Amino acid sequence: MYIIIVGGGNVGYGLALELQRMPDHEVTIVELDGGRANQLREELGEMVVHGDGSEVAFLERVGAARADLLIACTADDGANLVAAQVAKHWFHMARTIARVNDPRNETLFLRLGVDSIVSAAGAVLAQIEATLPEHTMIPLMVLEGSGLHLVDLHVQAGSSVAGRALRDLEFPPQVLISAIVGPEGARVPDGSTVLRVGDEVIAIIPSAADAAVRAMIAGPTEGQ
Amino acid sequence: MRVVIMGCGRVGGGLATQLVAEGHDVTVIDNDAFAFERLPSEFGGRRLVGSGTDDRTLLEAGISEADCFIALATGDNRNYLASQKAKVIYGVRTVVTRVKDPLRSELFGRLGLRTFSPTKIGVELAHQALFEAGA
Repeated sequence: MYIIIVGGGNVGYGLALELQRMPDHEVTIVELDGGRANQLREELGEMVVHGDGSEVAFLERVGAARADLLIACTADDGANLVAAQVAKHWFHMARTIARVNDPRNETLFLRLGVDSIVSAAGAVLAQIEATLPEHTMIPLMVLEGSGLHLVDLHVQAGSSVAGRALRDLEFPPQVLISAIVGPEGARVPDGSTVLRVGDEVIAIIPSAADAAVRAMIAGPTEGQ
Repeated sequence: MRVVIMGCGRVGGGLATQLVAEGHDVTVIDNDAFAFERLPSEFGGRRLVGSGTDDRTLLEAGISEADCFIALATGDNRNYLASQKAKVIYGVRTVVTRVKDPLRSELFGRLGLRTFSPTKIGVELAHQALFEAGA
């Protein structure tokens, strides 16, 4: 697989080191700053090129037309978005991943068709939320292009769904309850499965249904 | 019309001045307060110091109620980010984006923005002037 990494900061550099160890991948790192590019080149060699990874003509020169994946991980959200858009819509690359530095840009990136986004702030928040015993919903993974995501729900005491069978619950459309994890382990649910307080529910839900699902799972104090 | 302009350079400042003279409600955003020196002292629009890619600045500029957003900052990528935000997130009807790189300008046009490339226009005008003067 041919991978182009745009941005040779700590994230791009770390990524390149990892990918270099996998023999099946050819990797190019594009770095805008000449000094930084030279420094990286001393360590990583020919795979490092100096240039603007959001520019069509430059990406063409580094072989974007035959690349399978572009990862945009600069500290500049504008550059990351444009690099990903150019990769997808000019070079028709199969997959694009972009780093989002300002968490408020996450929605925009996804709405504009970036396949996957990596948000440091989002990842840290999810970790913090997961450590709180009263968490209701932890986003696990965005399913590209579908508007759906995989979440972990935690049935709270006093929740309107606790003690009821799935067939009797009215989840918003397109909500798919995939697995229930309780003290005895994971089980595949059917209509007769009864949700209990403390159950972890792994579900695929539309992002638009987040608030509604959260309210069903939450206890009376939280479910405004 | 309610217009938000990102970038108060020669073009942004000039356009802001003209739109105010035509009776429009104009807010100009620039990172650098010094850029507003380009506006006439009696400028009747609003000046706002901040980044046009920052949601807080855009909201303060009244992006939610704006009819038009025009991105005239220095960087093509920042103009694109701010323009898509105005269009997709805040639902601004008319969004115009300056993109220096002609190829990116073409691509962004395909992705739904109304773009123009000063590079492309400059080359055309210079070429035309050259042959007009020629003989």
